[in-house]
Amino acid sequence: MTILNESGVPDVVSPLCGLFGLAERLPNALFVVAGTHSDVHLAQSLSGPLAGTPATRPAGNGSGVHPRVVFVALQPDEEPNGGALASRVVEVATGFGTGLVLLVACRSVGLLGVDAGFEAVLAERRLGLPVRAVFPDPDAGGFGVLGTDLEDGAIRALVDLCPQEIPEAEEEVYRPKEGYHPKENLFGKFSFRSRPGRRVPLGTEAHQQVVVVGALPDSQEELASELARIGVKVAGVVPSSEASWLPAIDEGTVVAVADPYLVGACRAAEERGATVVRTLLPIGVDGTARFIQDVAASAGVRTNEADRARQVWEGLEPLRNRIRGRRIFFTGDSGLEIPLARFLAGAGAVVLEVGTPRLEKRFLAAELAALGEDVDVVESPEWRAQLDRIESARPDVVVASPGLYVPLVARGHLCRSSLDFLSLGIHGYGGTRRVLELFVRTFERAERLDALNL
Amino acid sequence: MRVLRGVYEGPGSHGILRVAASMRGVHAVLRAYPGEWGFSALHAAWTRGGEPVPISLSPIRYRPDGPRAPGNLARDLSETARRRPEAQALIFARSEAALLSGEGAPILALPENPQTGQTPKLVTCEWESPNTREVEATDLGLAELVRAHALPQQRSPAPTVNIFGPPVFGPNAAAEIAEVERILNLIGVGVNARVPLGASVEDLSLLPRAWANVVLYRETGESASLYLQDEFGMPRVTTPPVGSAGTGAVLRAVGQICSLEPKKVQRAVWAELARTAKLPWYARLARPETFRGRRVALFGDFTYATGLGYTLAREVGLEVTWAGTYLDNLKNDFLFHAKGTFTNEAFVADDPETVAARVEATAPDLLVGTYLEGEIADTLGIPFLPLCPPTTEHSFAERPLMGYVGSSVLADALDGVLRVPPEPREKPSQEEMTQGIEWTEEALEELEEIPAFLRGRARRLAEEHARALASPEVTPEILEESRS
Repeated sequence: MTILNESGVPDVVSPLCGLFGLAERLPNALFVVAGTHSDVHLAQSLSGPLAGTPATRPAGNGSGVHPRVVFVALQPDEEPNGGALASRVVEVATGFGTGLVLLVACRSVGLLGVDAGFEAVLAERRLGLPVRAVFPDPDAGGFGVLGTDLEDGAIRALVDLCPQEIPEAEEEVYRPKEGYHPKENLFGKFSFRSRPGRRVPLGTEAHQQVVVVGALPDSQEELASELARIGVKVAGVVPSSEASWLPAIDEGTVVAVADPYLVGACRAAEERGATVVRTLLPIGVDGTARFIQDVAASAGVRTNEADRARQVWEGLEPLRNRIRGRRIFFTGDSGLEIPLARFLAGAGAVVLEVGTPRLEKRFLAAELAALGEDVDVVESPEWRAQLDRIESARPDVVVASPGLYVPLVARGHLCRSSLDFLSLGIHGYGGTRRVLELFVRTFERAERLDALNL
Repeated sequence: MRVLRGVYEGPGSHGILRVAASMRGVHAVLRAYPGEWGFSALHAAWTRGGEPVPISLSPIRYRPDGPRAPGNLARDLSETARRRPEAQALIFARSEAALLSGEGAPILALPENPQTGQTPKLVTCEWESPNTREVEATDLGLAELVRAHALPQQRSPAPTVNIFGPPVFGPNAAAEIAEVERILNLIGVGVNARVPLGASVEDLSLLPRAWANVVLYRETGESASLYLQDEFGMPRVTTPPVGSAGTGAVLRAVGQICSLEPKKVQRAVWAELARTAKLPWYARLARPETFRGRRVALFGDFTYATGLGYTLAREVGLEVTWAGTYLDNLKNDFLFHAKGTFTNEAFVADDPETVAARVEATAPDLLVGTYLEGEIADTLGIPFLPLCPPTTEHSFAERPLMGYVGSSVLADALDGVLRVPPEPREKPSQEEMTQGIEWTEEALEELEEIPAFLRGRARRLAEEHARALASPEVTPEILEESRS
């Protein structure tokens, strides 16, 4: 395995493309997107149908409009006072009926002199609802942007909102404002302002609590049930499909991260003192097995998943045979490439190149170690050079970013959009089957279409 | 600071990139933050074919990865010129965030191409500012390219014209240009160059060969055609060829400029009216009651809004209640053309919520607008035609709205929506909309708290929910439940 830094400009679609998908995943959240006119335009345009990607908006809506996404456009020549953005957020969020407001602050907000974090705090005080600032374009030291940076920011905000101790049933730190009737499940289950000095004593359930961060609801359920099978109880998942429930994350909580791009969320959990399990991601059979083993070990349960893994592999044999020897190229855009490549290489496919706009070496150390010898990882690839390499290598399938999907198909390559994997549910043993089936489906269809005499 | 439901136009950089993507041999360098790159995905989704975008990103980074990493603008420009020898012109664009960061236009000499011995021209758009929007930038960017490349030429022996059409992302752009070309050929006028869609740098230099410029899309052809008029004395035709009357006017204007025999032009027009143009036929074939009392509301850009306004008012005989545009830079022109001619109420608005509020207040029988008006039309149940850009529907088989074929396309569209007789409908005030189901005082107060543009939908959902629960009135609880 070689890691080459090409120092090029990868074709990565802006993180705002994940906005509407995220709005669907967090049904209790209102997204206020603050930025200039061009940020609003980008968010709106990218929500429309992109070639080769699944539709993210609910049926029957005009594109670019989602009931829980609101845009606040700052004029470039105005100098907003502190609190102006907060007033707008309050104005918008009042009467919306959601339990959480995420203020997505694009880079231009900072450039215009508005401190989004401060505005979020002001808005929270006035609204009485949690308001967090999410930055889709953080100053990652100028390193590459991943298409999933918005998801990372949002989940990081949720982790910050997680309470820091298990609430007592009669505890009600939150006082709802006059005349506002909170939903029972929202405020009955957690208090989101923790008080210092209240630490739950050792030996109770707070320690060894396992929280799964990331992944889609079905995959979260599957991972939780796998862990439950060996005796590890998952206290909660972030984000949850049950909109308003957030588990406690405290010192000693075991945080199991399912997605490779959730670096910010991990950092937030570690700041709380939680233990983030450093292992393979639950993608692919080996990955899921190692994940379950290591998470269980951190939670104090020793187990060996090898038998289960072997069983699952045997069940997937027909699918594995269909992809054995197939050559796959990842152009790199969402951050899912490295674990997917590791899984597919282990399943018998030949991974020609894995492009990744940003390589988190520390976070993905286990993944990189498991990648195998013949896989080339290209950090920060130059997309035009990638197109040339694809031409010369002629892979069987290219997992392409949205901007490269159409030109590659036009040149005769078989392509799959990288955004497909974000909504597929690739985690766990079920996810393994789904990923393999996706590739097999793609190959079968291509063969059928090519067999036609045009 | 405004709360918007959406925007009609993109930023200025988008306009410049559109011009570069429409042309051949022109490469664009975008100076922006890495998180702002989305144009390639949008371009791929729209054009659905062929070449990758001729655009390079010069990312603004706080800490470059290495000595050779992109991020240094001068080096990026030279590298692009070196690696793209087929680019004869490099046009430079800055994103809004880049402009806010104070990025300036570069002043540098590009390296010479070793094979051809020529240097590509660097077009820096110094007029770019955070207030420049997409359409205006397309206009000015195209003018800069024309200014950089147009050379004095000898006029072509036979009458030819240049067609200034919409750039890429303009709906049905190629079909519109093809249709206009077809009808010009019928009167014996050839086409010298089509700008910017598919134009090469040579085409730009040959522009002054033509006898006149036919500007189909004034939003993007205005400055370039004015420059050619001032510098080379080329006359221009700017009437939008929408509808049979509009197309006829364009043909007669071209005929006059090229000193063609008026009878010949008239014969060609009559032949087309008999054969291809179905709008006058539809207007006469359908019963007068189809159009009587039908009020149309129009919202769009400049060309389609005014062109369709004239056509619907005069050729079809519908009453245009109001017409609006989102193009602030063409405000005066629009008001001049619209107010008092085909409508009594013309306005400029760039917030979809304002337009939606106006639609709700006036309740037209037909709404012709952009895709952002689809939501309010759907909510209120108004027949809707998304004919004006920006649109999201881009079909593989393009159908023009300009020219005589375009008039037939328009006739089809109108037939589809006007065939059903209008239901008698009063202006929906608050009380009337909640007819049949009582709303409690508290519920009405809660409704007032909901932002205006979501109120209609919330109202309907609440009433449906109340009906489903067989409740005689809408209470705050029912309203709450229906919104979860």
